Amino acid sequence: MYSNIILPTRWSRFTCFCRSLSSIEGQKLPQSSKSSDGISPPPRIQRGPTDILQALASTVGPDPTAAHYKYHDDPYLIPLSNYRKRAYALSAEAGRKAAAWIRDEHAELFTTREWDPPGKTKTPYFNADPKIDAFTPRPIYNDESTVTEEDLKHTIQNALLEDSVKVFQLLGGIDGVADYNLKLSFLQLLCFYNEKEPDSMEWLEERWFSANTRDRHAATWKLGGLADKIFASLEQKTSEAYCTIIQGMAKHYQAKRAHMLCQEAIEQGIPLSTSTFNGLLGCIGFLKEGTSLRVEALKQLLAQMEEQGLTPNEETLTSCLRSISAWGGGKILQQLAQQIIIEFRKLGIQPGLSAYYYLLCLYCKERGPRIDILSIILTDLEKREKLIPQDVTDTNFFITAMGVCSDHLQNINLAERLHALLMKGDNYKLVGDAYKESIYYRHFVTVACRHASFERTTQLLDTLVPNVYVPEPTVMEEIIKTLEVAGAGDRLAQAWSQLVVFGIANRTKLVERLLQAMCNCYEYQSDDIKAKIRNAASDIIKYGQLTDEEIQNANKQDRRSPQQKLSADAMANIVALCSDVKEKSEPDWDTVSEALNRLKRNEAAGVPSKPQVLADMAQTAASMGKLGIAATALKYLAECGFEEAMPASVQTLGVILNRPQQDVETMLQQRGDLERTLHPSALAVLDAYYLAKSGGTSRDAASSTSSESDNESSTSDDE
Amino acid sequence: MSIIIKHWRSTGLPSNFNLRIWRLHSTNADVAAKKGEEEEEFRVLDILKKRDRVQRRVARRNDVQPDRAERMAPDQNWGNVWPGPKTFHPSSVPLPLHQGYVPKGQAPPGKKANAELMKIPNFLHLTPPVIKAQCEAIKQFCTEWPKQLNSEEAIETHYPVEIISSDYCHASPTIRNPLSRIVTLRVKLSTLNLDKHSRDKFLRLVGDRYDEQTDLVTITADRCPVKKQNLEYVDYLLTACYHESLNVEEWEKDKTEDDMEYYDWHKNASKKSLVQWFLRTNNEVCDLNDDDYVQYDVSQIPNAEGYEKAVSSLMNDGESEETVNNYAIAVRKLLGVPEKKIVT
Repeated sequence: MYSNIILPTRWSRFTCFCRSLSSIEGQKLPQSSKSSDGISPPPRIQRGPTDILQALASTVGPDPTAAHYKYHDDPYLIPLSNYRKRAYALSAEAGRKAAAWIRDEHAELFTTREWDPPGKTKTPYFNADPKIDAFTPRPIYNDESTVTEEDLKHTIQNALLEDSVKVFQLLGGIDGVADYNLKLSFLQLLCFYNEKEPDSMEWLEERWFSANTRDRHAATWKLGGLADKIFASLEQKTSEAYCTIIQGMAKHYQAKRAHMLCQEAIEQGIPLSTSTFNGLLGCIGFLKEGTSLRVEALKQLLAQMEEQGLTPNEETLTSCLRSISAWGGGKILQQLAQQIIIEFRKLGIQPGLSAYYYLLCLYCKERGPRIDILSIILTDLEKREKLIPQDVTDTNFFITAMGVCSDHLQNINLAERLHALLMKGDNYKLVGDAYKESIYYRHFVTVACRHASFERTTQLLDTLVPNVYVPEPTVMEEIIKTLEVAGAGDRLAQAWSQLVVFGIANRTKLVERLLQAMCNCYEYQSDDIKAKIRNAASDIIKYGQLTDEEIQNANKQDRRSPQQKLSADAMANIVALCSDVKEKSEPDWDTVSEALNRLKRNEAAGVPSKPQVLADMAQTAASMGKLGIAATALKYLAECGFEEAMPASVQTLGVILNRPQQDVETMLQQRGDLERTLHPSALAVLDAYYLAKSGGTSRDAASSTSSESDNESSTSDDE
Repeated sequence: MSIIIKHWRSTGLPSNFNLRIWRLHSTNADVAAKKGEEEEEFRVLDILKKRDRVQRRVARRNDVQPDRAERMAPDQNWGNVWPGPKTFHPSSVPLPLHQGYVPKGQAPPGKKANAELMKIPNFLHLTPPVIKAQCEAIKQFCTEWPKQLNSEEAIETHYPVEIISSDYCHASPTIRNPLSRIVTLRVKLSTLNLDKHSRDKFLRLVGDRYDEQTDLVTITADRCPVKKQNLEYVDYLLTACYHESLNVEEWEKDKTEDDMEYYDWHKNASKKSLVQWFLRTNNEVCDLNDDDYVQYDVSQIPNAEGYEKAVSSLMNDGESEETVNNYAIAVRKLLGVPEKKIVT
């Protein structure tokens, strides 16, 4: 049968030898509960089809050096910025979507199944390979297709909303479908999704990265839509139908109609379900205005539930708190929430994650007083063996709680506890989506930077950044601050490369902050770290140059965000960092001259706030024979009209001529003599002196001479 | 007038065009001539200027991070880094691996861009600690081993039937392999309760599936598409053969000497001749019928037992130097001929 199939050669083969206990007179199966006789095997331990896989998976822990497994494990393909993470994951999914599209477009090409021997493809089940519905093309319904009620059932079961509406219309609309139950399930589908095609469950990455994180809290229910029509057309309105339509309306905030229908049902003596009341409780805010009226309505609804003989469940508690938290803050509401929780506790109903989320919303207002209910909540949650997600809003809990830890309570211990809870067992799926995850870590890293010990912070950063979380500019600033305080020069130097990798190196403020931090803790670093910091500083300048060139190349395409200039302070910082070298031949001097040129060409915003740095640098440069650089710095100082220019140029001249300061000052009285005797580059320093003395009046002349002398000086330097 | 102008244009354009082409050609030739002076090559007319076109430089990304192997802590859990089987990747394996053809006087190629390392399957996912951890993890699904099954022999006596089947694991669109349907059943013939007759019948039924050396009966089934069906089928085959061999049919009584599966000396002509010869040498009358020959007690005949053994083994075990020699010795003894002397 399979003889004409060419088999691939790379198989690993597991041959199993098993001996079965079978006497010839009939199979003696091991039926006894225990291996009592010591020979027959004990009964098999029951397990699900994936239990072993899960057990094996539980031996694998997180790997901080690796990216998420959905990305390729390759240095060129590991995404390091938020943009890339999103782009790579979505591109991979776009490929899958394209494949699915082709499958649906050319459905006729995908009827052959694997291992079907050629020539036998028409036989539906010729081999053991099962038919997988997810891999088969979807049926297409259009105006020409002939449909039956089976199709409607199929589309409803698979939640294909648009297709089911089409099939419904093809069947003849409301009058065409006779089956009451079918109509009801169609109504349920319509009510649940509000006649909108739901996002496909198939595209995980799209859901993970989707931006619509917040639901619109507005009445989105389609009035007079198909659902309403179907409900009106039902001859005999059962309790199921009422529950469905009321829940649909309540879910999409059509509160008034929902309550009307509810009253109608109660008057007719039609029993309603608990979840119907839960839905109604959730949209009280849309029904009444004013806190007291709303509270009254809430209590009334709860009383009605009791009249109907319904026992509340966890969802009831959640929707009560949801309503209350949406009505603002205040003592009254907080007390009400507390009362409700206590009463539900008496009934043996524990609040879930969503309930706690709403509690946090209610208590921990941004400008309210500090209330530490989080520690109580955490103690409760830590006691639970497993957190079972029950509501969509459950995913809001961790991000909100971390926000509370960071902004409201500013407590690192609570944050650590919360993080431990999130990492426990299977709880990480409660983190929500990419957006929520990044906000969660933003809060966590911020609070760690501010309040945790430095060792803990660095350890945390090493495990999280960049594979789990890429810091946003604000968080990066926080990190830089922490590093500056701790004086970690090594990490500061690394921070620059991180900025580049994360794609936030063009944030001028951040780069300036980084340079300042480097400057502040430069002095007390060891020599090799100093060199690293200098390298980073010169890299910063070069990075700017690179983008300049790119701008020139792409000048004609209009750029929306023009490159911001680094400030003069940043330049001065670079100058200060890079001038701290002992050799004339160090390449750092190029960086210094580049920074000075930028200052001179007004390519840096503002003027340096600490001109003394430049003055000091001029002396160092002069002492190493870099006269051109010294002259440029002094001239810049003089042109900007800093007072430091004059004494600095005197001192620099002193260094050049190797004379004490008084001598230089006396020599400066006779300008002509000096000009004749001095080296041209020293002349530039002289120019700077006179410029500073005259207060920058002869600016034009000075600039023209300075440019000449600049050229000369640079040539002399090269020699 | 207009015609003339047209005409003039029509003549003028081509001439212009020609001129341009010519100029182009001349410049090209100049360039080529210059090149030709430098490198001795045939000049090629390069009309489209393909050669001069500058190749677009691919911008190198500056944000490629160093290998993650460099950031790995020495005390990390390797199972987390390499949890499952996959092709070798140099950036995530912190080992200085070398593999491939060794040029003379050089080290073998390193791990980067080394197809040799990628070709061979690796077992980086099955390090001893990982195996230990995985075994611990799946222990919860294992039951205790029966205590009395503590030796191979005990297992063989209690579980005589052996089932052999194969599972395949490979990379292809389907996880199913048609070869996995094949099921083999093995059982030692001695463990089946068979008497002489039924044993003979069983062996005739199984044919060449019985191996005399190991005493194993091997039944293989591959005719059904699924392993379970084949498993049931081999079970059925064994049961059917066994019970069939226990039956004694009417026609089995018609078994003749030609149908015998082995040589029974008592029923054969050799004994008859021996008895006749013995009686004749003792000058007795020989008027025995066939049954009497079979019943005749050969122990009265001196050395007849050795002869019987020698003949039986010669017929049953086949002709070999040893059996023939034995036969010779037995015959010499029987006839009273002196033993063969080996002349040295």
